Amino acid sequence: MTGLFDGLPAGAAATWVAALATIVVLGGLLGERRAFGWSQHLLAGLATGFLALLAIREVIVPRLLEPLIADPGNRVDLWLGLGLMGLAAGAPWLPRSVTALPVSIALGSLAAFALGGAIVGTLLPQLATTIARPSGGLMSTTVAIASAGVTALVLTSFLHGGPRGRLLGAATSAGRWLLVAGLGGWLGYLLLSRLILLMDRIGFLLGDWLGIGL
Amino acid sequence: MSERLRLLARAAPLGLVLLLGLGWLLPEPGGLSLGSADGDAAARVETTLDALGDAPIVAVGFDPDVGTYPEIRPTVRVLLADLVARGAQLVFVSLTPEGRALLVAELGRLEAEGTDVATLVDLGYVAGSEAALVSLSRSVQAPGAPEALQAQLSAFGLGAADLIVVVGGNDLGPRTWVEQALPRIDQPPTVAIAPTILLPELVPYVESGQIDALIATPMAGASYRAAADPGGEGAGADRPPDRLTLLLGMLVALAVVGQALGARLVPAIRLLGRGERG
Repeated sequence: MTGLFDGLPAGAAATWVAALATIVVLGGLLGERRAFGWSQHLLAGLATGFLALLAIREVIVPRLLEPLIADPGNRVDLWLGLGLMGLAAGAPWLPRSVTALPVSIALGSLAAFALGGAIVGTLLPQLATTIARPSGGLMSTTVAIASAGVTALVLTSFLHGGPRGRLLGAATSAGRWLLVAGLGGWLGYLLLSRLILLMDRIGFLLGDWLGIGL
Repeated sequence: MSERLRLLARAAPLGLVLLLGLGWLLPEPGGLSLGSADGDAAARVETTLDALGDAPIVAVGFDPDVGTYPEIRPTVRVLLADLVARGAQLVFVSLTPEGRALLVAELGRLEAEGTDVATLVDLGYVAGSEAALVSLSRSVQAPGAPEALQAQLSAFGLGAADLIVVVGGNDLGPRTWVEQALPRIDQPPTVAIAPTILLPELVPYVESGQIDALIATPMAGASYRAAADPGGEGAGADRPPDRLTLLLGMLVALAVVGQALGARLVPAIRLLGRGERG
């Protein structure tokens, strides 16, 4: 889609299809909802087809069926996995106590990997880095105190209900504003990414499709 | 809302598209330079790459997001070209379907541009999210790779790599690699390229030394591209984000935010003025 296949019918056709799809999506901005709706359906259909293709070609056949066919007697792990997958697929018809097994294994392992990784890869190294050390100097200590202060203020903004003093009320309000400022900053980053995406599509239409300005 | 305002609001998106199109067509003014803004990140990448030995093995985790990939695409392409030029053996893997789709396109581009396919090993899409990454850090089966590389990957997994490059944007990006893979393979040098939106999430890892170099802003990307590829050949037929168009778009965004703020502030000021007079 970047002019790499210029001159070839397939490349030209792909560029035309991409250009038309881009125009239809941009048309959604101007209120042309029907064609935009079709393009959404097309995207959903293509994504589903791609996922199915990926699952069959890169997961089910090479990682499940081929090893099972090659050595069915020694692949207990795969038979077990296949059994659990069957239980999950049969959830609408099987008792809940039976189908809870694969679901709980999936959820438990997901949580275990995520939590273990977060502690070993993020929490401990980040604590070790940000903790104030005597050798860190005044700047390091100031940054650490400021970080602790901002974190405490943001955490207080989550306090709801119960009696509050004037000081706690002010801290809660400050924490809420800090949170809003953080969200605003995050939206600014998102805006930049989306703006570049729009520029990319306009550049594609003008440059790759119409051949202007290259 | 009056009819004129309604029409104006309806035509505003078209106006924005036309304005950005005009910005794209106009020649860039000399005073605007993205690349001069953030040279530190680019220097870190260069230092990390310079420290590699001959014919290094580079594992590339490729999981960008379709919505943010245009932002990092020129930089990713230059980095890949830079690594190929340094004689690296690139081992690609995707942990998300979206990343896989983009990787297939990038591999096709590299091949079409004449890159030696023997230097590119495609491990494909590996299902299992975090668990897949843990599994890859123990052992990697790479049937299409040269025999010596196959043996190394099989014995040490991702630990066989001299450098890890993570192209992020999706759920399983640099943070997941830092959490799941790097502690298990003795923290090899790591370079991450991610869209701006991930900058706040990833900067702490650079500060703690868990990521050696991070390119997560258009400015840092432009600096790296200018340093690594002054001729711009590595980016293929891609045109990097346009400085003038970016500026125009940001000005429009600021105007929209200012308008929304003004619409709230002006009535409040008027009310205040009336109260004082009363």
